[in-house]
Amino acid sequence: MNSFSNRVKIEGRTLWSRNALRGVSLRGERLKRQGRIEWRQWNPFSSKIAAGLLKSQQPGILPTIGSTCLYLGSGHGTTISHLHDQVCGSNNHSEGTIVAVDLSPRCIIDLIQLAETRPGIIPVLADCRDLVSISPFLCSEVPWLFQDVSQSGQVDIFIQACERYLASGGTGILSLKSQSERDASVAFANAEDVLIKAGFTLVEKIDLTGWEDKHMLFHVVK
Amino acid sequence: MELVWDWRLARVYDAQCNIIDECVWDGTRSIAATVKRLKNLKSGQMTDEARVLQERFPEANRVHHTSFKNWPVLDTYEAELLQKSSLILAEQEILEVSSAPDFRLEHLVRALDVSRTTANNVESQLVDWITLLLPSTDVDQHRSSLAATILDSDDWDQFVSQFEQVNVAAVQSGEWNSIRSLSEQIGNANSAVITIENTLQELANSYLPSLSILLGPAIAAQLCVAAHGRDRLARLPASTIQVLGAEKSFFSHLNQGTKPPKHGYIFQHTWISRSPKSTRGSIARMLSSKAAIAARVDCFGGRPWGAKERSEVEKKVGEIRARKKGR
Repeated sequence: MNSFSNRVKIEGRTLWSRNALRGVSLRGERLKRQGRIEWRQWNPFSSKIAAGLLKSQQPGILPTIGSTCLYLGSGHGTTISHLHDQVCGSNNHSEGTIVAVDLSPRCIIDLIQLAETRPGIIPVLADCRDLVSISPFLCSEVPWLFQDVSQSGQVDIFIQACERYLASGGTGILSLKSQSERDASVAFANAEDVLIKAGFTLVEKIDLTGWEDKHMLFHVVK
Repeated sequence: MELVWDWRLARVYDAQCNIIDECVWDGTRSIAATVKRLKNLKSGQMTDEARVLQERFPEANRVHHTSFKNWPVLDTYEAELLQKSSLILAEQEILEVSSAPDFRLEHLVRALDVSRTTANNVESQLVDWITLLLPSTDVDQHRSSLAATILDSDDWDQFVSQFEQVNVAAVQSGEWNSIRSLSEQIGNANSAVITIENTLQELANSYLPSLSILLGPAIAAQLCVAAHGRDRLARLPASTIQVLGAEKSFFSHLNQGTKPPKHGYIFQHTWISRSPKSTRGSIARMLSSKAAIAARVDCFGGRPWGAKERSEVEKKVGEIRARKKGR
């Protein structure tokens, strides 16, 4: 058994997070009881962070308990719910915050519903490129930033967001889909160059083949 | 000197990060009031407190609060207020988006598409089925009236008696009931198509009057949805409007060098689809540039086009047809 924290662990080949909302399975994930603790399976096929955790050789992908996270491109909130398990815990007793930004009203509706049962999540309807519209919801620079937007120019958006909002020494994770870039074959190599030139330290490149084809996670430290 | 602010307070710091002046939001910290503040901040405006301090210290530089090291953190009460307000704000913004005609138009166009596809699919399934049961009748001929005829008949024998037939399959009552319920689906889908079509026309005529006069409300709506809204349609060049709806062949042209498409959605217009093949490209070019003008008229509040403008364009279509014929 491999634990990332006392709230997220690997058991065999599956990943589990400690369910902050007891008895509730968000998208039909398996739940299991171990004494007083309920674990919720974290599916690597629907969450790139989960796939990254299972494949990664380096620590530091998960945000720490009680920290503030900025999540750009939050989608329907599957990953957010597991991050909430880690960062906020039941009824947000760890006083963490997850600022979840997405452009799609449909996704934000799902996030609002999620946030109503899981306090600590702040849904923001905004374009990730429009940094001004995100700042009112943050109080300071964040120690953890994740971006998964699947649009052209992802790397530039990521760098701008990190420069403005990631604390120095903070963890930035970029999920890059090569197919969203103009030239898919060199997208990964280019992205690495650009990230290093922008002054980030590349901790690890995680190829998600098997769970998300043509995706790569870049784990960097500012 | 630096001016820093967020939704709670504004402060002026000197070079050594000492607080020179401070202005705290002293109104009632209700959710509704916080939502209002967040909304203003999101659109890039300053808070009232920040403006007060800016007037007192016009020489102070504005610094972003998230990058300012000593900015006070949220207390538990403030964090909760921010979280609750963010939910309300997000809901309000979603309502703003969904109340825009663009959004309504998009759903009407998609719903129309789905209902049409359903009606066609179910109808061909029914025709396939009946054809096998009535081998000596040309069922395809009665395609459009088939569902109605089935619904009017009480049982299989009565339905069959309306056709001249030699050989007929025997059909159990269960199977007959299944055929009937399939026919009901076709009827429902067809009436949905009519209702949606009428609503769509009404909306397109009021939201895109000029474009609807020129191209008909159905094509106008399709173009608007394909461009992701009227604002964006009005900013598209005519050459893009010309090939909206022909993305597949357009991108295969760019990537593989196949022939470029001459027309997208506007092909459905009879001026193009009923014209000789050799003239369609020219007419599509002319029509799309007129459509671009019409879309701009609608978007930027010009005087809507009427029958006069339409007949002028129609005259040009006639000219192009005649010119090509003369060659």
